Amino acid sequence: MSKTEHPMMDDMALEALFEASRTEAPLPSEALLARIMADAEAEAAARERPAQSPVRPRTGVIAAVLGVLGGWPAVAGMVTATVAGIWVGFAAPDQLNTLAGGLLLTDDSGFAASYELEDIVPGGAGLGTLLEEG
Amino acid sequence: MPAPVAGAQDRVYVSDAMDMAFDAQTEVSDEALLVAFGNGDREAAAMLTARLAPRVLGFAARMLGGDRHEAEDVTQEAMLRLWKIAPEWRQGEAKVSTWLYRVTSNLCTDRLRKKRGVDIDAIPEPADDAPGVAAGMMQAARARALEAALAELPERQRIAVTLRHLEGQTNPEIAEVLEISVEAVESLTARGKRTLAALLGHRREELGYVED
Repeated sequence: MSKTEHPMMDDMALEALFEASRTEAPLPSEALLARIMADAEAEAAARERPAQSPVRPRTGVIAAVLGVLGGWPAVAGMVTATVAGIWVGFAAPDQLNTLAGGLLLTDDSGFAASYELEDIVPGGAGLGTLLEEG
Repeated sequence: MPAPVAGAQDRVYVSDAMDMAFDAQTEVSDEALLVAFGNGDREAAAMLTARLAPRVLGFAARMLGGDRHEAEDVTQEAMLRLWKIAPEWRQGEAKVSTWLYRVTSNLCTDRLRKKRGVDIDAIPEPADDAPGVAAGMMQAARARALEAALAELPERQRIAVTLRHLEGQTNPEIAEVLEISVEAVESLTARGKRTLAALLGHRREELGYVED
């Protein structure tokens, strides 16, 4: 009952339909073939052109300097180091002198004049004597 | 006559490739032609167009429910993508036809999504007095009936059935087009054919299949 209500097409009949569709397949028009070939020509021509007129990106002085230094991140690092250096030089914080073992020259004493070589080179005890003797 | 260009001596031309083959046109592979075009050979493009454009058009037309105008646009676009990829074509990785079917199926899928639903009514129905028509007209009526039924299949079933039964592609090739396993292709094709058989069942008589 249901078989007659919903008849199925068998494989052979279906294959005949495929065959019909294969033989009735649309063929490209002359106009379409011409459009496709025009695209091919344009592509080939475009590929042959660039070698003769390379487009060089314009670079300014800043861009050139940036390029040498390694771009903006590198410049940011350099600026930080510079500012830190200026601060250290300007403020000369006490802690820095402590860390350096009192070797930094300060304005408030004549102590700089009293430096001996052994003060700067602790391992060189007797070096001064050697020099005097020599 | 085009002016000679630098590096011309390194180029592969179709004529060279054809000299190597005994049977000129049929022996040169699509891939060799594509590489030749990538090297600037226009003749190779003409041969590729003659070989591939009809296949792309046929596939696109079935995918798009017989919309000839859109199928032509898709064909031109797919071929343009082939021209663009020619210089970078990696030999031995994929068949040119498989690559092209994949591009075409993607282009068609995009268009179908934009349209959402092909207007099946736009596809001409076979004439009511079909049993009496001549053999040639019956052939055309059968082709139209099949295409109308194909348009009702889910997209991936339609791609699988069309490539397998109308474009003569193998299951592994279809698997590459759809980027799925061969087993999944077999399943899609089987389901697609079952649906087609059911859709076309009630039209057996008008399509010239006599009841037992």
